[in-house]
Amino acid sequence: MSTSTLGPVSRVATPSGERYDGIIDLAKVRAAHVPFYTTREALTADGNTAAAIATLQMWRAIIYPGFPITPSTKWIETVAAKVGAQKGTAKRVKLLEAEHAVADYMVGSAGACRDLIVSTATSSVGLDHMTETTRSLGASGFGNVMIVNVYRATANFPLCIEGDPSDALAHRDDGFIQICARGKQQIYDTVIQAPCLGMHPDVMTPTMPGYYGIKDSHRNAKLWIESDADVNAFQDRWIKPCVLPGTINGDTAMGNCVTSRWFQGFKIAQKRRIENVLELLPQIGADFERTFGRPGLAFFDEVGFRGDESVDVAVVSMGPDFGTFESVREAWAAKNGKSVAGIAIRLLNPFPREAVRKRLAKAKVVLVVNQAHHSGRGHLTLDIADALSGVDNPPRIVSAFAGMGGADVSEATWEAMLDEGRDALTAAPKQPYMVFHEGARL
Amino acid sequence: MRVLEPRKILEEGVLEVRGDGKAGGGLVLAFQSLAALFSSLPDSHVQEWPFFSSARRGANIRSFLRVSAKPIDVGCEVTRPVVTLLMDEAAAQATDFADGVPHGGTFVINTRRTPEECAKHFHLSGRVMTVPGDDIGTKHLKHAIGNVSAYVAMVEAIGGLPVQTVVDVFLGQLKKRRIPDVLIERNREALLATKDAIRSGIFDEARPGDHQSTAFAGYGELPLGAQTRLRLAQTNKTSTYARSGFRLVFEDPNLACTGCSHCITNCPEGIIRWQPDEARGVLVTGADVSQFCKLCGECIEICPEKLFKEGKYEESWDDAPAEEVTK
Repeated sequence: MSTSTLGPVSRVATPSGERYDGIIDLAKVRAAHVPFYTTREALTADGNTAAAIATLQMWRAIIYPGFPITPSTKWIETVAAKVGAQKGTAKRVKLLEAEHAVADYMVGSAGACRDLIVSTATSSVGLDHMTETTRSLGASGFGNVMIVNVYRATANFPLCIEGDPSDALAHRDDGFIQICARGKQQIYDTVIQAPCLGMHPDVMTPTMPGYYGIKDSHRNAKLWIESDADVNAFQDRWIKPCVLPGTINGDTAMGNCVTSRWFQGFKIAQKRRIENVLELLPQIGADFERTFGRPGLAFFDEVGFRGDESVDVAVVSMGPDFGTFESVREAWAAKNGKSVAGIAIRLLNPFPREAVRKRLAKAKVVLVVNQAHHSGRGHLTLDIADALSGVDNPPRIVSAFAGMGGADVSEATWEAMLDEGRDALTAAPKQPYMVFHEGARL
Repeated sequence: MRVLEPRKILEEGVLEVRGDGKAGGGLVLAFQSLAALFSSLPDSHVQEWPFFSSARRGANIRSFLRVSAKPIDVGCEVTRPVVTLLMDEAAAQATDFADGVPHGGTFVINTRRTPEECAKHFHLSGRVMTVPGDDIGTKHLKHAIGNVSAYVAMVEAIGGLPVQTVVDVFLGQLKKRRIPDVLIERNREALLATKDAIRSGIFDEARPGDHQSTAFAGYGELPLGAQTRLRLAQTNKTSTYARSGFRLVFEDPNLACTGCSHCITNCPEGIIRWQPDEARGVLVTGADVSQFCKLCGECIEICPEKLFKEGKYEESWDDAPAEEVTK
């Protein structure tokens, strides 16, 4: 036992190594938090600003490494501007030389104290550049790491800066909890809830809240900001002192090598931890709704379902274009005499198979709208097919692509896709997958 | 022709607005300010976002705005706006700013020209409002930027908002950007000076088929390497990326060109004109700025004799291609 000016320090033996409690005095970190908002306020903000404000309001988040890449740049710009303008803050922004450096910096920061949150934002090839380290982070138990992923097509040939979730979907095996948000409010709310999920002792897995580039990152709308005190009170209910050590003497030091005899064991444990999200996420979402009066985390948003009643066409999609579907749904249904409902997937990893299966099992046709390039029928299509496998009289699946590279998904495009869903009520889909743009099937 | 009243449409449903301009011209700030303005009203919902490519300053950009008393679900681009803004006349060379606007819509144009001239030139049917925003910007902000006036004209087009709120919201947007107080005051002057400079009229100049979007005809052939082909296509007139109101000028009355050829080798578009010269090797004679000069400034920077410069240029409605600049 020794002491420092920061407070009493104790060494505690754990199966994973020695934990040095008290090296970072959390009470002092908490006391040093200078609130950004002392009352509930309405702003006009874009998605990047909404995500940045949420991370700034957390007393546990004091270090923000970053490297700019469109369309996530405004996240780090906002964080830097607000930290720079706040007198006496303990928060620090670290601009690094590349995304890989950012991810490595997060390892050190997160490992130094697992009770503090370290957060950054990136997009597209920025996330690709981080991959070597994100794969380690995903397995590390660093639930205190949060990468805000602003979706953008992860290809530089051709380069396109608009929103397309191919980056998020290409990184589903990195081991992060990936949650898609749409709309400013949902972005803000998701970022607040994500660490509660990731840092839970049964989960201990980094989080990757995400939203569509340009379509949401750059779209301004009204946003309700809760006070810092209320945000932190909510997080404090869920985030407890971490039971694992940092990287010192721990088995999570990057570069540690095990033989195949042990590797699988670690991976099984990693898988079990992330699957605990399926039980925990609805609890956190329900508590958020009770606290703030808005819907909290959910596996998916849904529209048009009536209890367990059957529905002719059920749409599966994600992101802000689902709103356009919502706006045409009733008129299309009335015109065609068919019942139409839909879900917008929010939890991408782990995929909520059981909940999706339950919701879609009584649909006659499931129209899956993919927005990311895929070598086969589409990422979401495969997930839905998996979720529905084994269902008695399974729905017919129609696989569509629209909005790749952030292309506009117009009302006419949704109507054309719904038409294909309607046709599949009586005949097999014309093709294994179909691509739509500006109201036409290509 | 029935003129569509934006305020009435807003009261009944979703008001859709679109703007065209050039990157760096202030279109995004104008639309963000409009969004903040309507968002500040009780029980109002807004949606505002820009559309732009990775191209730099001078490229065409678009902004979209939806306002409603109810939550807005729809998330696709605005294709049938009731109110549309042309922030920069040069932007209209590459896009139809009135595309999809219904008969009786409102067209706001940042220009010195009259509403009647604009209605005839762009074939507009509806309310046409013009404002000399660049001139107001030059006078009050010492910079030919028309977004302050465009914002005021757009508010005027929609109607029903108190002047003080209109001014306060715009200045609030500037404060968020940490603009110095002296510039905020100049913006206030520009805002207040705009209202009297707005001209308006109702015209019916659209011909059948005007401003109707053509149906998407597919992507055609896009073989491997097509990205490069698109980039270098003769139809991709990079001159539309040039700063509005300026053109490259070459002047060499005393034949000072040394024949160093730096301008020729550094020009990314290959538009420098030259001829063989016995004494110098080559003699530069000018530059073809009609299609591909985007005013990157490489030649201006590299020429040891300072023979290239930016010259002021009045946007012309003459459809004839710009002349080769040679003096």
